Amino acid sequence: MSQTHLRQRFKSAPVGITRRTVRLWPLLALAMIAACASIPPPKAELAVAEAAVVNATNAGALQWAPAELRTAQDKLARAQSAMNAKENGKALSLANEASADAQLAAAAARAAKAQRTADEVQEANRVLREELNRKQAAPVTRTP
Amino acid sequence: MTRTPSFSLTGIALAAALVLGACSSLPADNAALMNARAAFDAAQNNAQTRQMAVAELSTAGTALNRANEAFKRGDSLAEVNHLAYLASQQVAVAQQTARQKTADAQVLSAEAERDRTRLAARTSEAEAAQRLAQRAQQEAQAAQRSAATSQMNAQSAQMQTADAQARAQQLEEQLRAMNAKKTERGMVVTIGDVLFDTGRAELKAGSGRDMGKLAEFFKSNPQRTALVEGFTDSVGSDAANQELSNRRAAAVQAALVDLGIERQRINARGYGKAFPVAGNDNASGRQMNRRVEIVLSDDSGQVKSR
Repeated sequence: MSQTHLRQRFKSAPVGITRRTVRLWPLLALAMIAACASIPPPKAELAVAEAAVVNATNAGALQWAPAELRTAQDKLARAQSAMNAKENGKALSLANEASADAQLAAAAARAAKAQRTADEVQEANRVLREELNRKQAAPVTRTP
Repeated sequence: MTRTPSFSLTGIALAAALVLGACSSLPADNAALMNARAAFDAAQNNAQTRQMAVAELSTAGTALNRANEAFKRGDSLAEVNHLAYLASQQVAVAQQTARQKTADAQVLSAEAERDRTRLAARTSEAEAAQRLAQRAQQEAQAAQRSAATSQMNAQSAQMQTADAQARAQQLEEQLRAMNAKKTERGMVVTIGDVLFDTGRAELKAGSGRDMGKLAEFFKSNPQRTALVEGFTDSVGSDAANQELSNRRAAAVQAALVDLGIERQRINARGYGKAFPVAGNDNASGRQMNRRVEIVLSDDSGQVKSR
């Protein structure tokens, strides 16, 4: 139902319709349009999601959180398609989810890297302690 | 196009209801939201997440509130699901952040531990090196002491050698002064009959110098002993000759004892006319046979007997 069509219907409104009803028509129509079709293209949200994906990639998500990163990239692409198809509500949701997914991918990648570093340092400590214990057990004596 | 007013009003209401219906379904319950709430509660009950991801947990709480409000308002299922999903992802971000910060803290503490371990190792190495150096110093000192001792020993040995040489020289001089002869029984000093009157066994007064040299020899060579042997010529009876030779040997022994030589070092024995050194058929031969021989011992005090 388009606005022009409604207006045409108002012009040719029969005499039986009260003035009060005539005043109500455009108000109702506007309310209905506002409810479902007032969402502008979520360009800003898409940009934010894009930046979040780049950030996650830079954080090493491709290696350390590939599943999360793929989800984010997928949703970002779908958000772009939805916006191109003027499905702005869907595009907004997908862009926001892509941002959240990318944030998670970045956090997971950072956590995995930190965990790996911690494991390495702790292992290095263990090796160092072992080596020192061996040295103390059999100290190098000076040959005269 | 004509419509009755009643139809138009009903149509408008119906259309509005349809439009609104499309935008707002009212679900009795929402699984996604419940999951998000449970995840958030779990994260908040986890001390690690609560302490190390304060900001992220707060963001997740805000997202969850928005989802809860949308649900209460009766927003569409899709909208509530969407907001619940965002809240769940924020909870997960908080958990991962806490995990990362915990690992970072582990790295820091492990690095500190590594530094402590290395420092302790270096300290113990330094102590070991110090002990080694001390031991080396002690060894060097001991070696020095040992070298000094060796030097002293060498000097002492040298002095002993010099001493021994001096003593040997002295001995040689004494023996030469006593006119000692080297025989196969050792050094033998012969005292001629000029020291005795004929038939007598008393030493003449002039014998003092010879006895003095002998006494001096025994004093400076305390390890040496001697056998004093008396001999006669063949004139007279054997018994008288034996007796005379005994007494002359004893007289020499007594003279030495008088000069301070221990009696046990000097033995005396007479042999009568035995062991002549020359013929008894002429005066000079007989004179040579009338004699006292003093057989000197070696350094161990042994006198070879006849």
